[in-house]
Amino acid sequence: MKFAIAVFSPAHAPSSRRALLFAQAALAGGHEIVRLFFYQDGVHSASGNIVTPQDEQDVPAQWREFVTQHGLDAVVCIAAALRRGVLDEQEAQRYQRTAVNLPAPWELSGLGQLHEAAQVADRLVCFGGN
Amino acid sequence: MTTLHVLSHSPFGDNRLASCLRLLGNADAVLLTGDAVYALQPGSEPRRQLSERRLATRLFALEEDLQARAIDPAGLALAIDYPAFVELSIRFDKVNSWL
Repeated sequence: MKFAIAVFSPAHAPSSRRALLFAQAALAGGHEIVRLFFYQDGVHSASGNIVTPQDEQDVPAQWREFVTQHGLDAVVCIAAALRRGVLDEQEAQRYQRTAVNLPAPWELSGLGQLHEAAQVADRLVCFGGN
Repeated sequence: MTTLHVLSHSPFGDNRLASCLRLLGNADAVLLTGDAVYALQPGSEPRRQLSERRLATRLFALEEDLQARAIDPAGLALAIDYPAFVELSIRFDKVNSWL
């Protein structure tokens, strides 16, 4: 079964962690994740500048490790990311901003990637809220 | 076409649960996650509404979210883990998250 997973909440929201645990369970169950799409406040889940308190789960680091380990296609919505200050090298240069906070394995791209993932996958599962 | 409705907001803050129950098809199911598990709080109005719908085997709640909030589903909802969540998303034709 092919899954597309969309995350609408930042890394400090419980729903971002829920999306991660769902994605891990999907792979563990022998399923495929065709794309992870980070939209709206979900773009913060991809930020490389998040510092998690030592006594809390470092969900952004867990996302990064999960995406890297499984070589997943992890797309961050470019329009949502720009307005929230989540920039890769190219966008920081384009808009003359001093900070870059979207390192690999994340990739900035458009909403079309969510649409395509929804067409390709058997199930689109969205995560947001609390 | 069957749908798994996934709720994640507290039923005491908005109308998502009521809207969801209004739209719920006869073969659809509800999964309570995060603060939405507060709908199972004993003696509450949302719990009464859920009981009235007699969802029986079509009402689920994420076990760790129940545990984190000390909510006992007490026969009303089936507590599930993440592998079961994945299986549910496959059993139903679509997953609709009430974002």
